[in-house]
Amino acid sequence: MKLFKKISILTISLISISAVSCKKLLVENPRATITPQFFTTPGGVLGGIIGVYGDLRNLWGTEGFTNITLAGTDEYLAGGSATSSTVPFFTYTNLVGNVTAYNAVSIFGVAYQDINTLNGVLQYGPSAFPDAETRTEYLAQAKFLRALYYFYLVQTFGPVPLHTTFITTPTTSDSRAAIADVYTQIITDLTQASTELQTIPGETISSTGAVSPFAGKAATKATAQYLLAKVYLTRGWSTAAQPTDFATALSTAQTLISNASTYKIGLWPDFASANAPGNEYGQETLFVVDESNSTKYGNYVAGGAGGSYNITSNLFRPNYPTVNADYPASGGASVMTRDIANGRPFIRIRPNPAYVIEQAFAEKVNDSRYYKTFQTTWIANTANVTTPRGTLTVGADTAIWMPPYDPGVAKRAKFKGIILTPPEDNAPNPYTTVFYPSMKKYDDPNRTGVNDPSTRPFILFRYADVYMVAAEAAFKTGDLTTAADMINVIRTRAAYQSTNTGPQNTAAVAAMQITPAQVTLDFILDERSREFYGECQRWYDLVRTQSLIRRTQQYNAEGGPNIQSFEDLRPIPQTEIDLVTTGPKFPQNPGY
Amino acid sequence: MLLLLSISILSVSAFAQSSTVTGRVFDEKGEPIPGATVKLKSHEGATSTDVKGKFSINVPANENTIVVSFVGYNKQEVRVTAKSTNIRIALTVNNNNLNEVVVVGYGTQKKRDVTGAIASISEESLAVVPSDNVVDQLKGRLAGVDIVSNSTQPGASNQIRIRGNRSLGSSQTQNDSQNQPLIILDGVPFIGGSINDLNPDDIASLDVLKDASATAIYGSRASGGVILITTKRGKAGKAVTTYNAYYGISHITSQYPVFNGTEYAAFKAQAATGNTVNPGTTAYGLTTAETAGLANGTNTDWQNFIFRPGYTTDQLLGVSGGSEDTQYGISAGYHKDQGTVYGQDFERYTLRTTIDHKINSRIRVGLNSLENVTTTNGADLYPLYNTISLSPLTSPYNADGSINLLPLAGSIDAAKVNPLTIRNPAIQDLNRRLNTFNSLYGEVNILDGLKYRANVGLTYGQTQGNQYTPVSNFYNTATATSQTSEQVANSQDYSYLVENLLTYDKTYGKNHLTLTGLYSIEKDHNDGSTFNGVGLPADYIQSYNLNLANTVSAANGTFSEKGLISYMARANYSFDDKYLLTATVRRDGSSVLTSGHQYLTYPAFAFGWNADREEFLKNVSWVSNLKLRAGYGVTSNQSVAPYSTLGNLTNNAYNFGPNGYNGYLVTSLPDNLKFETTQNYNLGLDFGFLHNRISGSVDVYDQRTNNILQTISLPPSNGAGSTLINAGKTKGTGLEISLSSINVKTASGFTWNTDFNISFYRDAIVALHNNLQEDVGNGWFVGQPFDVIYDYKKIGIWQTNQAVEAAKYGQKPGQIEVEDVNHDGKIDANDRQILGSYQPKFESGITNRFSYMGIDVTFVAFARIGQMVSVPYLGSDSGASGYPFFNVGRVNQYKVNYWTPTNPTNAFPSPDASGTFPYASTLQYRDGSFIKMRSINVGYTIPSNSLKNSGISSIRVFATCSNPFIIWSPLTKSGLGIDPEGNGYGGSLAGASGYSTNAIGRAITVGLNDPLTRTFQLGVNVKF
Repeated sequence: MKLFKKISILTISLISISAVSCKKLLVENPRATITPQFFTTPGGVLGGIIGVYGDLRNLWGTEGFTNITLAGTDEYLAGGSATSSTVPFFTYTNLVGNVTAYNAVSIFGVAYQDINTLNGVLQYGPSAFPDAETRTEYLAQAKFLRALYYFYLVQTFGPVPLHTTFITTPTTSDSRAAIADVYTQIITDLTQASTELQTIPGETISSTGAVSPFAGKAATKATAQYLLAKVYLTRGWSTAAQPTDFATALSTAQTLISNASTYKIGLWPDFASANAPGNEYGQETLFVVDESNSTKYGNYVAGGAGGSYNITSNLFRPNYPTVNADYPASGGASVMTRDIANGRPFIRIRPNPAYVIEQAFAEKVNDSRYYKTFQTTWIANTANVTTPRGTLTVGADTAIWMPPYDPGVAKRAKFKGIILTPPEDNAPNPYTTVFYPSMKKYDDPNRTGVNDPSTRPFILFRYADVYMVAAEAAFKTGDLTTAADMINVIRTRAAYQSTNTGPQNTAAVAAMQITPAQVTLDFILDERSREFYGECQRWYDLVRTQSLIRRTQQYNAEGGPNIQSFEDLRPIPQTEIDLVTTGPKFPQNPGY
Repeated sequence: MLLLLSISILSVSAFAQSSTVTGRVFDEKGEPIPGATVKLKSHEGATSTDVKGKFSINVPANENTIVVSFVGYNKQEVRVTAKSTNIRIALTVNNNNLNEVVVVGYGTQKKRDVTGAIASISEESLAVVPSDNVVDQLKGRLAGVDIVSNSTQPGASNQIRIRGNRSLGSSQTQNDSQNQPLIILDGVPFIGGSINDLNPDDIASLDVLKDASATAIYGSRASGGVILITTKRGKAGKAVTTYNAYYGISHITSQYPVFNGTEYAAFKAQAATGNTVNPGTTAYGLTTAETAGLANGTNTDWQNFIFRPGYTTDQLLGVSGGSEDTQYGISAGYHKDQGTVYGQDFERYTLRTTIDHKINSRIRVGLNSLENVTTTNGADLYPLYNTISLSPLTSPYNADGSINLLPLAGSIDAAKVNPLTIRNPAIQDLNRRLNTFNSLYGEVNILDGLKYRANVGLTYGQTQGNQYTPVSNFYNTATATSQTSEQVANSQDYSYLVENLLTYDKTYGKNHLTLTGLYSIEKDHNDGSTFNGVGLPADYIQSYNLNLANTVSAANGTFSEKGLISYMARANYSFDDKYLLTATVRRDGSSVLTSGHQYLTYPAFAFGWNADREEFLKNVSWVSNLKLRAGYGVTSNQSVAPYSTLGNLTNNAYNFGPNGYNGYLVTSLPDNLKFETTQNYNLGLDFGFLHNRISGSVDVYDQRTNNILQTISLPPSNGAGSTLINAGKTKGTGLEISLSSINVKTASGFTWNTDFNISFYRDAIVALHNNLQEDVGNGWFVGQPFDVIYDYKKIGIWQTNQAVEAAKYGQKPGQIEVEDVNHDGKIDANDRQILGSYQPKFESGITNRFSYMGIDVTFVAFARIGQMVSVPYLGSDSGASGYPFFNVGRVNQYKVNYWTPTNPTNAFPSPDASGTFPYASTLQYRDGSFIKMRSINVGYTIPSNSLKNSGISSIRVFATCSNPFIIWSPLTKSGLGIDPEGNGYGGSLAGASGYSTNAIGRAITVGLNDPLTRTFQLGVNVKF
């Protein structure tokens, strides 16, 4: 019976232990995750803004989004290794049947996820921060980012859902807002941001003495003013145009130009400096998507190539390591080895020589920008390579030369390396889908490994565009003189070459000046090619100016024959259409 | 000694007088029994009855008893004298198999009293298929238990489904957690443990509870069925020592067929010719080395360098025994499966202790403790794709005999490293798990028939992952030594469970009543952390000192806890052993659901009727056993991850210039979750005919699931990609037949037994969320089975003479032609259709066992028929390794019959160097049906009389061939696969994509994983 007692004591205690822990057992206390409640705290509000900044990396610098912004225009053809999911962007073939391929158009999902986070920030932020100045500056960042996303959405897809409040309950319905309403929201946000944002990145907040975290090239008043000018310009071209849009665009841009010194911004004297490695935070940059070689904060992993890595330094590369010594015959060693200086060849995007070489960059002497945009020589980096014309000396001889012209028989005979020329020159060895001049604005010679992604911040907006926006706005208001003046600022800088003498530069500047009569839409678009080639703007430039169909047909032999009139809007991702399951169906864009 | 023995036998023969005894043997109904064994009780000598049941046997004078036996009947001893002739012997039916005890959860029942649908398998049946784990051994053995291989790597644990899926999980992990069965080990939920933790040799029996009337007692974790595993325990008696061992060698069944050198060159050339954007051009021409290789006939099969012969070995030493009061069992086991791919193996050490002790007539206590360490190497290494894709025109070695490190030098894939480097011993991909599972019980007989039992389960597990890849290696093509990559991952889990059980068992006349009451609590915890490093000073450090790495970064830590509180009551009542009733009610409270919806109560009932006990069947000679069962029950499901209801922010760090900050994005919105429930009806028939020479059971069932816990994708414009809700309904109906028969049993002792099972299962989605008729991304369509294939339908290849027609669709000859379902002259989303389902039409298994004179031969075969399978390497390309990637002529791959102008096939499209490849995903859907021989086992039991005096009580030696051959498979017949069984999920093997991406992600696919291995084993079972 003694044992009985023991057992019953044990039993009772077991039952009571379980009863006590009962209630606690069903209460959840997460420790490794963060719930949306966090947004009501100052750390949450700031974290939301930073999270959205981080998400920009899922677009700018990636292969998918780079293609969205460039492919299928007058400037580009598909590189030989363009993937099956991106080739349709270049060729406009099977686009209709492959709407789902556009699920790769991640901008839709990325933008709305970030917009919701920003709406949370803007909803909870006012009560989360006691200090008014801090609050104003921080929340202005959220307004700027929200406007940025809506601006890209409305240009890409036309009318899109417009959400300005934090969604905490999932729903499966949604509908489009009129593009006029979307523009109104963008302009509201940007107008406020352009006065509320910091004046220079990372400035000290006077009320608290704390340093703003938004250093580097985060959004400032200048960024917002530039974007506002561009939004007015774009709306002016659109069906939601207001009569004053172009004038407002012009005045906004001009105000920014006149206040440039306040914002410590200006043009580099040399065009090459604008995109040079190391100058990303320099005077001409208005906004970057930041990167660094920190694995935690900087989006870097050795050899990283997909995801959100900045791989712009790979995308435009030709397959230079496969040019063999006996080219075009097979045989002989490869004349080049893949190295950091020449980059990792992805062969995804190549210049359209019919337009780039023959039209946009036709002037290559007084205008320094062709050779500052394209790599045309590859210096030998591999020992013991002998072509039929001689042995290449490492570090001295040019192994591959891709001049934008035919150098002639004599030079060919003397040149030890391999020469490739534009197909339009009908010379031996034309550029191919894999051998073509490389676009070098994204070169990153400071990478650790040859297959590493770039850790250079991606320059999204450059001060030069303020002049070009002003020029286009002036042109649209009929003020050709102002338009020419603005363009000439850019062309004057383009004439400068550090290797020229003073008089040579003066002569080049003179030769580059244009008259008001020369300003046409096509001239502006050509000028934009020269200035912004490869800078992830082209598709939007052509769409804005209602020139996509016309110019693609005119210049692009791959996409031109196939492009259809409705393809100046991207199709709504099929997932959005499939998943809006309550209420009215979500309409696809016409034609798709 | 031998001499003495012979003399004594001789002397017996010489001096004994003998006589002949004759007689006939009948069954209980007076029919003669042929083939019954008649033996002398204390002397050598035996015979069997003829077709008329007659026998004749020589009986020595000093023998007075013969023993008559026949399968299915009780042994009978008959006293005889020298004058006994024409004696009549009537055997009585042995109802032993009905008195067999079946584990039913919170107790056992006589098989005769069972009312639920339960399938069982014995230790002996499992043993004929030696394998790494018990689940693998069960493949095709039990009706309604569908086990599908989800990996071919050593230690793979398979996917288990009992009566199919009920719940809709969009991802593979969610699908698994909501549909897989609950495993109960010796009465205690095997929480936290993996099936690989169990040594199959320790298992005494395995029972599967299939219908809700049986599973309801286990509540909200049991909606996917319950597998009850009973391990061996000591029995009273002298100590028995057991030694079981086998060793086997394994080889891959087949390499993947790939293009040879000249075929590869021809394919590349056609890719340039077939370039639809820039005809005649390619980015992937032959390199200098390849051109030379083509000229000198180089033809390297790179697969030769990654495979090796593997082996399996298994050892178990156990001692068990005990007195009337105390029984014990201890065992130690070792198992190793050395894979056929370099760097892959699985190893397990186990220690087990069981003690049962009777303190006094009222109190019993016991312990079951299981400790094990499992080590898996190379489970994350998938070398096949990168090996197969290498150019056959390049050489593995340089002229000087050194390794040709970069065979593709000069091509776009120049960085790819020779697969010979996978043998580098510095490569580390180790996963080591320590698991200790302990259950204790105390049992008190409070009053006659009233018993209290407390079960306490305690589990602790620790998993360590170590990874290291050196540079200039097959798995890490970086060349700078600063770019080695290393990882250390650690996680621990523990669970505790306290069960209080009260049972009352009483018989009044013909009434028998058992009442069971349960109150239990369970808490599961796990947490973990992972650290990554890049760059190390030397390879030998591997992942053991991350402080030496150039950079170290932490991955997201994990932490989760869930609690479960349960109450259960059950009544079992039987009248006259004829009429049986079971009624159960269970109430569960779960922490993972939204407050206010955390509790649910649900019932189950079942009736049984032992018809053979009725008067009208008692005299029907061919009916030995007949029982009808009917059950209804509700089970529930709460298998969502902890904290699912709270919403989530994902961290997304960023740097502003030099300063880094943590940032957060809203990726998951808060939601409101309650229990999912399944209602189940089951009707079953158990039978035994002709003295139980034919026995089996038939079950039909219908199960309906409501309020399904499912992840729904949200419109991207909603701000968060997906959320969990309770929505949707599904139904499943099925038929299961199990048959066991003794086909032949001759007088000479030859027997042939067959166990056969077949199950048919049909599931369908009745409703989706928001009255949706279809959820394309998930592959869910109302009225259709779960997990369908939804895509365009390939109807051929556009041929040269169809150029005009093809152009209407924006296509060219040589490209895939898909069906224009609505004939609107364009192919768009409306032309997608349901092409098939990943569910089989039926599954079946058959085991044939022949035995004669101590020799037994067993054949185990199984089949899954009528399901589609996705073959990612033939299909769409989400990760640059499917057919489209190959189609540009860049890499080598699986050998297929492709279109050229002179080979107008409809099988595969023309290669096209432009990268334009519409409808590529349509190539991957294939008929996945198969019939396979699972194993052939030959054993010999050494006659016990020849072991006399050796101290050994029994020895059996055996030889097994696992996976000897495929009997039938359309996939392998078509040459597009080497094994129709799956080897990975669509989500884990690169290359899978399609329109219903989630469905392919969940589906078991036939991808480029290790080929299946064929193993020859020799083994021995010894008892002392």
